[in-house]
Amino acid sequence: MIDVAIARIEAVLLAAGVLLMAVNTMANVVGRYVLGESIFFSEELNQALIILITFAGISYAARHGRHIRMSAFFDAAQFRWRKALMIAIAVVTAAIMFLLTWYSFDYLLTQMRRGRLLPALQIPQWWIIVWVPLGFFLTGLQYTLAAIKNLIDPNIWLSTSTLEGYDTSAEEEV
Amino acid sequence: AETWRYAFEEAMDEVQGKFAQKFKEEVEANSDNEVQLFPFGTLGESADIMEQAQSGILQFVDQSPGFTGALIPEAQVFFVPYLLPADEGQLIKFFRDSKAIHELFPPLYADQGLELLTMFPEGEVMMTTTKPIAGPADLNEVKFRVMTNPLLVASYQAFGATPTPLPWGEVYGALQTGIIQGQENPAFFIESTKMYEVANNITRAGHNNFTTAVMANKEFFDGLSDADKTVVRNAIAAAFDYTVDYQSGLTETSLQKIKEARPDVTITTLTEEQRAPFKATAAAVEAKFLEIGGPQAKPILDQMKADLAAAAGN
Amino acid sequence: MTYAIFGSMIGLLLLGFPMMIPLLVGALIGFVGLFGGFGQLDTMVQQILAGIRPASLIAVPMFIFAADIMTRGQSANRLIDLVMAFVGHIKGGLAISTAAACTLFGAVSGSTQATVVAVGGPLRPRMLKAGYNDSFVLALIINASDIAFLIPPSIGMIIYGVVSGTSISELFIAGIGPGLLILLLFSVYAYVYAVRNDVPTERRATWGARGAALRRALWPLGFPLIIVGGIYGGIFSPTEAAAACVLYALFLEMVVFREMTLRQLYQTAKSTGLITAVVFILIGAGAAFSYVISFAQVPQAILGAIGIDGMGAYGVLFTISIAFFVGCMFVDPIVVILILVPIFAPVVKSVGIDPVLVGTIITLQVAIGSATPPFGCDIFTAIAIFKRPYAEVVRGTPPFIFMLLLVSVLLIFFPQIALFLRDLAFAK
Ligand code: NA
Ligand code: NA
Repeated sequence: MIDVAIARIEAVLLAAGVLLMAVNTMANVVGRYVLGESIFFSEELNQALIILITFAGISYAARHGRHIRMSAFFDAAQFRWRKALMIAIAVVTAAIMFLLTWYSFDYLLTQMRRGRLLPALQIPQWWIIVWVPLGFFLTGLQYTLAAIKNLIDPNIWLSTSTLEGYDTSAEEEV
Repeated sequence: AETWRYAFEEAMDEVQGKFAQKFKEEVEANSDNEVQLFPFGTLGESADIMEQAQSGILQFVDQSPGFTGALIPEAQVFFVPYLLPADEGQLIKFFRDSKAIHELFPPLYADQGLELLTMFPEGEVMMTTTKPIAGPADLNEVKFRVMTNPLLVASYQAFGATPTPLPWGEVYGALQTGIIQGQENPAFFIESTKMYEVANNITRAGHNNFTTAVMANKEFFDGLSDADKTVVRNAIAAAFDYTVDYQSGLTETSLQKIKEARPDVTITTLTEEQRAPFKATAAAVEAKFLEIGGPQAKPILDQMKADLAAAAGN
Repeated sequence: MTYAIFGSMIGLLLLGFPMMIPLLVGALIGFVGLFGGFGQLDTMVQQILAGIRPASLIAVPMFIFAADIMTRGQSANRLIDLVMAFVGHIKGGLAISTAAACTLFGAVSGSTQATVVAVGGPLRPRMLKAGYNDSFVLALIINASDIAFLIPPSIGMIIYGVVSGTSISELFIAGIGPGLLILLLFSVYAYVYAVRNDVPTERRATWGARGAALRRALWPLGFPLIIVGGIYGGIFSPTEAAAACVLYALFLEMVVFREMTLRQLYQTAKSTGLITAVVFILIGAGAAFSYVISFAQVPQAILGAIGIDGMGAYGVLFTISIAFFVGCMFVDPIVVILILVPIFAPVVKSVGIDPVLVGTIITLQVAIGSATPPFGCDIFTAIAIFKRPYAEVVRGTPPFIFMLLLVSVLLIFFPQIALFLRDLAFAK
């Protein structure tokens, strides 16, 4: 239930981030030519948006098993080896995500303490990086859930919602 | 013996690089410590290396006060136009003796975990534009690339241009295709970055001199033995002298090199009369600085003016 | 430590870990090793963010978005129909057109990743339908996109020019010759491939049919106009042109063709965001890894051990080529240029090689590196966009890399390939 809500929020953030980025970039062009004045915060807003998109997106991608991997050797292995390896991959990946959650949170606190401002927007720089620890945390959570699913289910799961293998037929809409 | 790491914002053979190399040479000659140098971009952008110095990964770092403005708003005072003198002798005297630099600024840097070691000038800022500039009227409708700093934006707005933010990597291409028609930098930088190839009118309006601060991580510096502290201080002093020496004539040499590479480049030094309308805009930018320059803006500006008067010898 | 880093990276990669993990673990081992513990991992986070933050990268999601809208709607098909009306009857015509489109688009956009998306996105399905093998198609798109680096404007050349003090205008002109030579080689290969695999051709279209295709493509022809005219005409930066394409694509598909609903717009934006995130986390992790290599001064140590000072001109050029080729396989190309160029500068000067030639060779190696396994960013992008396995995406690349390396060698022995146009333009 909560997971569905989180997925929904991530999806909306992704779509809104991309649309805003297009509008913001064009607004700067219009400003420059029509109003004779550049929008000074345009670049900083895009920076904020790309960070938002990346970190909302990595957990969304983890949920749908869309992170890029080199699976040639993995695919060639026997079922039980693949199963064991998939659990190991999910556990190790989750551990690294949680480690980065901790240190990106630490980085966020450091930036709050230093009080660096964004030069054009004149707002604290930490505002645009609050997504970073959150994104790492939710991604770690997804991989933890994937490990659990692989432990309790007989199939091999790339993520909680995706079985291993490349789906060539119906283009899944995620 | 320790390894100290020093990152700066320019390439090895630009002014900050020369300073850092001299510093390294002095430290290594007078102690058994080693200094590793990291020029522009090898450890990230200006803000990144500054943070790394604050975290103690780097022991030394250069950052021009303009960039430091995001952290220490008072440092933006160096963007107030026509504050620093055009005369080189006065300028050097000011940097050597200024109470603002040596007494008022260090506590502000210390609050950010940094020991301010020195500040030094890098050269007169010049405009390079696709069309010649003789007065504010020629800047009308000119899209002029400036660093994203409120005071620079205010300056060029007051000059009559359309200040346009653009990442440094895109400036050359944008001048070439015509998205922007101007940018500003010291002569050596215009020469090394080849800006004159795509904007062949250089104008000396004498409105500013590019400044850099050299800092150490405060915890590291406080933890040094007295002997090592002396080594660092002496090396900074020697590098300062060396850089002043290196710079005398650097502007002329750079301009000459530009002229040799592209004979069609025009270099115009505005007369006092031509500068007057540009100078008239300075008061407004100064007011803007007092508004956004942080709690110490007023004392720093007043002290700088007193220091400058002293350097001018009256 | 270097061995531990590269060993674990290759190991994790081959075991099938998500590709961000080998890069992040490489960086982690580096940070922990360099700073004796976890105390400086804040800076690792900083570098991940520094990797995804550059303003010029914004063009990538924008072109992904525009291409996705065009492909779901009608614009892309109408443009391709127009091309097919003229080249459909030629053996390998579609493949050659794809290579040419990648060259042109890459040239103006300056981004190899954006090219993979914007040209490869719409053209790949058509090439598959026309009977080309997927591995060939993917490799052609990825490698033809490389030409973007060589033809102006080129960010790699600007950085090289600044670091080495070389005229950027001369570098820009010098890149054109090798860029076109690569396009020529790829076209010949595409032709040979089409003949050997007997890819069917269409019947030659009549002039009436061509006229009809042209009329249908009138609106979508606004895209090349926005991109080529807008950028070379000094109206847009490449990033802004990308955003302009997004809005124009929305205008066409939602207002003119009325093909796209608001719901589809939401889906498209979301899928763009997803692909962006998957690629950008790798760029960020790669930047953190590059930082370690740079901080530990690994290249300096390796090159110091080789001893380039005693080599002649050919020896130096080969060493430079290999160093940049290998460097760009693992590390961000811009960082490679920033670190290696100053190291090589003295020997280039003492041997007396034209720095413009060196810049062209380096730019070519950087281009090759971004399409070369294991960590070439164009490969990531292709995997994310086309949802194909890594092995399949790289299977077709060897012939292309061979051709690119052939051009590298030719450049060393026949510098005029690069310098001819430069000498003509600057009357040297
Ligand atoms: Na290009
Ligand atoms: Na690469």
